[in-house]
Amino acid sequence: MMQTKRSIIGVFKPNRENTVADAMDALKAGGYTEDTEYEVLTGTPYPEGVFGENEPKHALFRYPLIGAACGFIVGLVLTSGTQLAYPLVTGGKPILSIPPMAIIMYEGTMLGAILFTVLGIIIESRLPRLFMGAYDERITEGWIGVTVTTSEDRIAKAEDILNKAGADDLKRGWEKS
Amino acid sequence: MPSNGHNGHAAEAVVLTQAQVQEDLQEKHERSRGQTFRVAVGLFSVLLVLGIIGFILRVVDGVSDTAKWGYYAAAFAFVLSTAGAAPMVAIAPRIAKAHWPRPISRSAELFSIVGLFNLLVFIPLLWVLPPLEQGRRTLWFFGSVGEPVPNYSPHIWATLAMLALVVVGVLLVWMSALPDIAALRDRLPQGTRKQKMYAWLARGWKGTSAQWFMQKHRLGILGAFYFAMLIFLHFLISVDFLMTLVPGWIDALYPATHVANALQGGVASVMLTMVIMRQWGGYKNEIGLDQFWGLGKLLFALSLLWIWFFFSSFIIFWFGKKPNEVSVIELFIKGPYLPIFYAEFVLTFFFPLVFMIWNPIRKSIWGPTILSIAVLAGTFFGRIRMYVASYSVADQSALHAIETVPATVMPGIADVFIVLGVIGGSILTYLLASRIIPIMSIWEKKEMLMYEVHRPLHRIHVRILGKPD
Amino acid sequence: MQEHVQLNSKEVNDILLKDVLGMPKWWLPAVLFFLVVFLAGGAAFGYMLNKGVGVTGLNRPVMWGFFMVNFVFWIGISHAGIMISAILRLTQAEWRRPLTRAAEVLTVFSLTSALMAAPLVHVGRPWRAALWVFPYDFERGVWPNVRSAFVWDPSAVMTYLTASTLFVIIALLPDLAIIRDRTTGTAHKVYSLLCLGWRGTPRQWKLQAVAGILLSALVLPVFVSVHSIVSWDFAVQVGVEGWHSTIFAPYFIIGAIHSGVSAVATVMVLMVWLYKWQKILTPDHLDAIGRLLIIVATIWFFAFFLEWVFALYTLEDPELALRELQVFKHPWMALFIVFLITAYFFPVPMWMFKKVRRNMFWMFVTTISVNIGMWLERFLIIVLGLARRQAFTFDWGTYHPSMIEILMVIATFAWVMFGMLVFAKVFPLIPLFDIKEGMVGGPHKIKIGRKEIPASIHE
Repeated sequence: MMQTKRSIIGVFKPNRENTVADAMDALKAGGYTEDTEYEVLTGTPYPEGVFGENEPKHALFRYPLIGAACGFIVGLVLTSGTQLAYPLVTGGKPILSIPPMAIIMYEGTMLGAILFTVLGIIIESRLPRLFMGAYDERITEGWIGVTVTTSEDRIAKAEDILNKAGADDLKRGWEKS
Repeated sequence: MPSNGHNGHAAEAVVLTQAQVQEDLQEKHERSRGQTFRVAVGLFSVLLVLGIIGFILRVVDGVSDTAKWGYYAAAFAFVLSTAGAAPMVAIAPRIAKAHWPRPISRSAELFSIVGLFNLLVFIPLLWVLPPLEQGRRTLWFFGSVGEPVPNYSPHIWATLAMLALVVVGVLLVWMSALPDIAALRDRLPQGTRKQKMYAWLARGWKGTSAQWFMQKHRLGILGAFYFAMLIFLHFLISVDFLMTLVPGWIDALYPATHVANALQGGVASVMLTMVIMRQWGGYKNEIGLDQFWGLGKLLFALSLLWIWFFFSSFIIFWFGKKPNEVSVIELFIKGPYLPIFYAEFVLTFFFPLVFMIWNPIRKSIWGPTILSIAVLAGTFFGRIRMYVASYSVADQSALHAIETVPATVMPGIADVFIVLGVIGGSILTYLLASRIIPIMSIWEKKEMLMYEVHRPLHRIHVRILGKPD
Repeated sequence: MQEHVQLNSKEVNDILLKDVLGMPKWWLPAVLFFLVVFLAGGAAFGYMLNKGVGVTGLNRPVMWGFFMVNFVFWIGISHAGIMISAILRLTQAEWRRPLTRAAEVLTVFSLTSALMAAPLVHVGRPWRAALWVFPYDFERGVWPNVRSAFVWDPSAVMTYLTASTLFVIIALLPDLAIIRDRTTGTAHKVYSLLCLGWRGTPRQWKLQAVAGILLSALVLPVFVSVHSIVSWDFAVQVGVEGWHSTIFAPYFIIGAIHSGVSAVATVMVLMVWLYKWQKILTPDHLDAIGRLLIIVATIWFFAFFLEWVFALYTLEDPELALRELQVFKHPWMALFIVFLITAYFFPVPMWMFKKVRRNMFWMFVTTISVNIGMWLERFLIIVLGLARRQAFTFDWGTYHPSMIEILMVIATFAWVMFGMLVFAKVFPLIPLFDIKEGMVGGPHKIKIGRKEIPASIHE
């Protein structure tokens, strides 16, 4: 279901972190929900909770485990399969030699874990993001943005809240969801 | 991204003054001679007596048959590997200027006193180890180079290295404790015997800037020296007292493996000591998640090091398949000590791996505790496996390889007594040492108060740590 | 860190993106120069493909020469990235911040260099190498022999290359967004695409932080396996006694870290000289890396000592003959002395002095020296091991590299320089967000009496 949403961003000058935190509080008091409706955007990784925001929940730790399991299985099948399919004794080593198989299975396991972790990072970061919504280039220069993405009827109130909170600039945009 | 202190340091940290810390820790040091302490001392004294009985039983059989002394050597090596390496927990982070080990650095250094006891345990081994003229392969090229080296080269060098390690270790813990000893000197009533002892031990410590400056440098240099001696001693012991007894066992990595296993055992020992101090010593407020988290990570890393070193040696032998290599694998891994090898493998590597990859376990107190017990047990089995197997080899002077792999040597009652006695005696030494020297470094705790600050940062509190130059 | 420089976001952007958004005068000539040298190596390769490996100096008994030495050397350098970035990330060392990306990028380019040296060039007919490594021969049913170290090796190197490339890419995302916001037109479109629409939400930052730790923890075991397996290419076989040693895996790893971390220090100095980043890369960073190097070098020396002791301990004639060749026979003796001095006895005593550790020029000289030494170390191990100057040797040959080989070796160096310079033109070589993170809410100082001590936020 494609639905166009309005979005708005209030940007605050650098060093106005407390004002931003107040603006976030005001949005919360105004009945907006964090993450789904409003978010803080920064160009720097601040310590968690500086703006009074929620701690983001994620399930990244599952990915490497799944990846490792997949990699391990692929490694096992590949090493045992090729040895059984072409049972040529070399160097007096048994067919299905465990130590060499362990080496390749280990690499497979790690490769699987890493590939899945990278995938997990991208998915859990909610990337790639096709529509930027309201955004301001100054964020990567130290300004702090508070963006609200919501339905048409709730956007005006959000703009009002951001204005009152003392945003240095406001921009509007739209987004599909 | 540093968190806002969900683990609770930041928000509810109670900041004590230096005087409060001093008072509190000194009081705890004096209180430590409670009922529990006496019971422990009694128990370990009994074990020590058992050990002496076991030793007498062994000596009656004479020292000429190394096979009979395998368990004795293993017990010695176990203490060397755990207590000997434990001070590294204090030394290494000090070089890296980390703050978290401050509450546990003394309990780690105190292990070097155990070296005094282990030095006694070492002496009989000098008689057990055959001289070079018997014809085994040796590090000293006896008979291979022009000018003959002394027949007892291994005995001489290992003894010197052992002495050096113990002396440096005792100096290390003494010097590190100077400011605390001085504090005890000032606190005890003048003229008592105890006060006089502390006055002597304090070596006129007053706390001048020059003395503090010296203190920092002394600890750095002694620490580095201790580490160097530790490596050197492990090199000598693992070759002269172990590898040379097995013909055809040529493993260039093994001395490093011996040290790595020892570091693992040392970290596990400190961790277990921490648990005991927290649980029964009254140090619940001082030792917290920070310390368990720091040491837990280290222990986990060392478990991974274990498998890497093991496999690095194993694959060469397995692939090479020379007769000597086949027999070495047979002796230590596949043959008479297979169950012990499995136990070691599981306890020192496999269990830590599957256990510690879970965040909630790693970031807890009980997780690393269980891990440290497992690793200690694994280290113990490891030493049994290597030493008992090596000492049981009959044809030590065979040229290329063991001709027959000896059968499993099961421990007799004397061996059980010896092992219990050596471990009990070590713990007893530690307990007695902790009566004299405070088990928690008071000055390092007080110093920490200066470098740790909790500050508000907008909506959160952050912990800020200073790093002095 | 005694000199804590505090900058705001805009200043950090300006300093570090100056040469990404603009172009320094020397850049184009330098890049062209390295490209030409690289292409010269390529031409030599083409010539070798046409004429056969007979144009190299390889002949019985020394069939592994400059190419393999170079392969091991570049694999070694590639261990810098993960050493610096993963270990320092895991231990939360503050001074890692400006170093991580340059180190990781060095990893990627040196790994590609290593791949060029061994599987591509050394095997002579590279298209056949694929057959030995990848299980794809469905028609004849002849599969790679997994019991061979030459199959373990590609599996490890490929895993490492994939992992370290992805590591770089993930950590680039926030910085790409910064460039996106500062470009227009096509460049803007490309960077928008590359940064995947990064906005800087708390969730994205959190994942970025977790990724740094998690990927470090995952790449680290791979890093250890790579050089171990490379060492087993040599060590598992019994044919060359000098190689059949259990210490090889740790010896190679620690040697790799020694040369790799030195290379990172070299790159650091070059970054300051070329890009004038002295506000970000201060003598404090060099000092820290210098201290680290003392420890690393000494562990390496211990491994070297063990390798030697146990070579003599075997008392086997071929082993003793090899050692004699390395130490007493001309011209190897000279190389051996140069190796020892350049790899350990010159740089390490120098690093003991704080003044040297904090001096750009001397750190440059000493770290270059380490890598000369480490290149020679591999040469002495590989070539002399194979020469088998011992009793009952069938082939009494030696090895002289041909011009073709020398050209191709030089080309790999040119390739790494070329790659680093091009990377630095397109992407920032220092992670901007990491630098900014270290400055949040700062400067942090703790005042004790009359002294101010630099501090940082800790978890």
